[in-house]
Amino acid sequence: MIKHMIKLVWNRKRVNILIMIEIFFSFIVLFAAILGGVFYIDNYLKPIGFEYQNVWRIGISDNQNREESVASETSRNNEPAQPGSPQAVNSKAETVRQLAIAVREFPEVEEVSFATIAPYSNSTMESAMDGDGVPIRFGVDIVSDDFQKALGLQVVLGRWFSREDDGQQYQPVVINQLMARELFGDSDPIGKEPRRPKKGPDKEQSNEPPRRIVGVISDFRKDGEYAASENFMFRRITIDDKMEKTPNNMLIKVRPGATAALEERLIKRLQNSARNFSFEIEPLSKMREEMNLIRLAPVIAGGLIAAFLMIMVAMGLTGVLWQNVTQRTREIGLRRAKGATKNKIYQQILGELVIISTFGLAIGIIIVSQFQILKVIDFISLRVYVMSMIISVILIYALTVLCGLYPSRMATKIHPAEALHYE
Amino acid sequence: MLKNYIKISLKVLTRRKFFTFISLFAISFTLIILMVVTAVFDHIFGPHSPETKTDRALGVYAVKYEGPDAISTGPAGYGFLNRYVKTLPGVENVTIFSVFETTYTFREGEKVKLFLKRTDGNFWDIFDFRFLEGAPYTADDEKNGNFVAVINQATRDKVFGGESAVGKTLEIDGQRFRIAGVVANVPFLRFASFSDVWAPISTNKTASYRNQNLRGEFQALVLAKNKSDLPAIREEFKTRLANVEFPDTKQFNKAFGGLDTTFEQASRNIIPSSNFESQPGKLLAVIVLFMVLFMILPTINLVNINVSRILERAGEIGVRKAFGASSWTLVGQFIVENVVLTLLGGLLGLIGSLLVLDAISRSNLIPYSEFQMNYRIFTYGLTLALFFGVFSGVYPAWKMSRLHPVDALKGGVR
Repeated sequence: MIKHMIKLVWNRKRVNILIMIEIFFSFIVLFAAILGGVFYIDNYLKPIGFEYQNVWRIGISDNQNREESVASETSRNNEPAQPGSPQAVNSKAETVRQLAIAVREFPEVEEVSFATIAPYSNSTMESAMDGDGVPIRFGVDIVSDDFQKALGLQVVLGRWFSREDDGQQYQPVVINQLMARELFGDSDPIGKEPRRPKKGPDKEQSNEPPRRIVGVISDFRKDGEYAASENFMFRRITIDDKMEKTPNNMLIKVRPGATAALEERLIKRLQNSARNFSFEIEPLSKMREEMNLIRLAPVIAGGLIAAFLMIMVAMGLTGVLWQNVTQRTREIGLRRAKGATKNKIYQQILGELVIISTFGLAIGIIIVSQFQILKVIDFISLRVYVMSMIISVILIYALTVLCGLYPSRMATKIHPAEALHYE
Repeated sequence: MLKNYIKISLKVLTRRKFFTFISLFAISFTLIILMVVTAVFDHIFGPHSPETKTDRALGVYAVKYEGPDAISTGPAGYGFLNRYVKTLPGVENVTIFSVFETTYTFREGEKVKLFLKRTDGNFWDIFDFRFLEGAPYTADDEKNGNFVAVINQATRDKVFGGESAVGKTLEIDGQRFRIAGVVANVPFLRFASFSDVWAPISTNKTASYRNQNLRGEFQALVLAKNKSDLPAIREEFKTRLANVEFPDTKQFNKAFGGLDTTFEQASRNIIPSSNFESQPGKLLAVIVLFMVLFMILPTINLVNINVSRILERAGEIGVRKAFGASSWTLVGQFIVENVVLTLLGGLLGLIGSLLVLDAISRSNLIPYSEFQMNYRIFTYGLTLALFFGVFSGVYPAWKMSRLHPVDALKGGVR
């Protein structure tokens, strides 16, 4: 039966190959749109690992070495603070300490912490660890001890930074579960000291103390709900004489219901405490809205375009199939005259269509799989990839069958006598 | 003859309305997308107020430094620009300005977010801002560190309730500025000129920016006397980059960058290159590739529909062939018909894109952006429509012209 249908399809190869190409490209377009959608939905359903409600970011700039704010971890390590003199550094630490005290005085403020990079901000820091010769990449943030409480990070193993890390021979770090699994599998990561790569931009510095893992947190997705979960590491910053540069962000947790009036008072107070500094203030919830809009906009635009393309393809396909049926009036009439039921005709038209779609889809799947096999888009997991592929295949079949319904109904209505009358 | 073809094609269009509708939908939709994308590009890169002299202006928007252990990429420092760009020979004018930063002002307990850009006095000579009231600050204001500022219309509306603002005081980031002028809003995507508030560089909180010999938060724009001077100026800057004096060669010892148009700047940021080259050709190729990929599906769809439509007219073709029409005549006829159809679709697409652009502008997704249609975009759209029409008509026409008259008269094809 199928063999016979393939033969029928082959006999009209000129027309069918065009339909097949159209289905192939439709699949590619649909797959791209659905992949974006599934990727975002999948990310959205996972916890982000921190609480953004009632957390405000206060951007701090000492107007001196702003150029370093978006530098990578390595370059930051190697660049000395611009003025360079230890006195300038000391006074900076003192100012920052004063700022923290000033903010803590407000009764509406519950927690005060410092971070080099704020969640939902555009800056990122990256680094790598040596994993058996292959560098394992991860995102980094350098934060103060209160950061965990201010953002409600969940420590699942070990502990968060504390005073007991002061003056130790190691640099304490906290990593997320994903990274713990990638570095150590199922064994306990606490107390381990992973090495940095021997060469490359992230190579180990000679005078650098080893990094010891003191704790593991559930996760920290800095870019929020729609970003994929990635390896992440926290390093510790203390506001003391060794502090090389001003931390860029103060993250404070405020009581629910705090308003812009508090923002104004906070900013005025900060400006009075440090005349040479500049400050920005913004609730994380606001930054989250902006970040999510930026992330969603291209996917929504892409989805809309794909949807319009699909409508266009659906209409075009209906037209073409309709035309095909009109052309094959005689053939169908003959079959009816020889005793084929309406159902058989229905089956034939739709069956042929399914075969053409299957060929188109097969090529599409082969090509699309290459991207995953060759690791072109490696930030998307195999699960999301396969799921998007299945959804697209189902949708394309549904689309083609839907387009074939009306034309094949027309075919069943062909009266044998009328059809044969042509000859 | 042509008149006849057009007459026939219009007749054919009204005969099978469903097919006509599908074709027009496909063509106009495709053109809407392509024209909207073009309009956005034109908005970002085309000459628009206040950046009207784009044909003879080049900027230093970002630089890259490399050392044995470190890399640093981003806007240059004031000291660097002052030394290596400001002094370029044979140019008409040079301006140095900061990358805009976020600041706030408070009005009756409400927070108003304002972008602040600090510039020199030349800034106002190089860019053609449209002043609604007052005047720009001058090079003297910059030299003397006067706290004067220019604001845009939106800021005047938000902070001063739309009333005349010149002479009034605006407090941002703990500094008080006297307002010297109000300009029309500048679109957000024109990042060289865009801001809400412009103030002299010397009003910076500390003078440390003067010592930024490498990286910082400043950009510069060079205006040449003639377009023909540009290559020489580019060359000169390249030579200067190769001879940059580094304060600490253990930290950084190589500088990369160049004088860019805004499109070259975009390519520098988007297309990765080890030497921080700008590769506008590659960026253009990527964009064209995406557009072609996007156009494939509508084109195949149109070809498919055209093949179907044409087979329906086998009888007509048979008669014409039998009476001696050559294949070429028939191909010509069909292509004319198709072009008429696509031009019709192009017209619908034009109306559609006007509506879409208006909707995007109104949505305020991108602050102060007015996406407009102009003759550049229109010509581009028209060319695309024609290309579309000819391209999607060739295969069906060729197929039709090969039809044997006998088969055709019988009304069928094998």
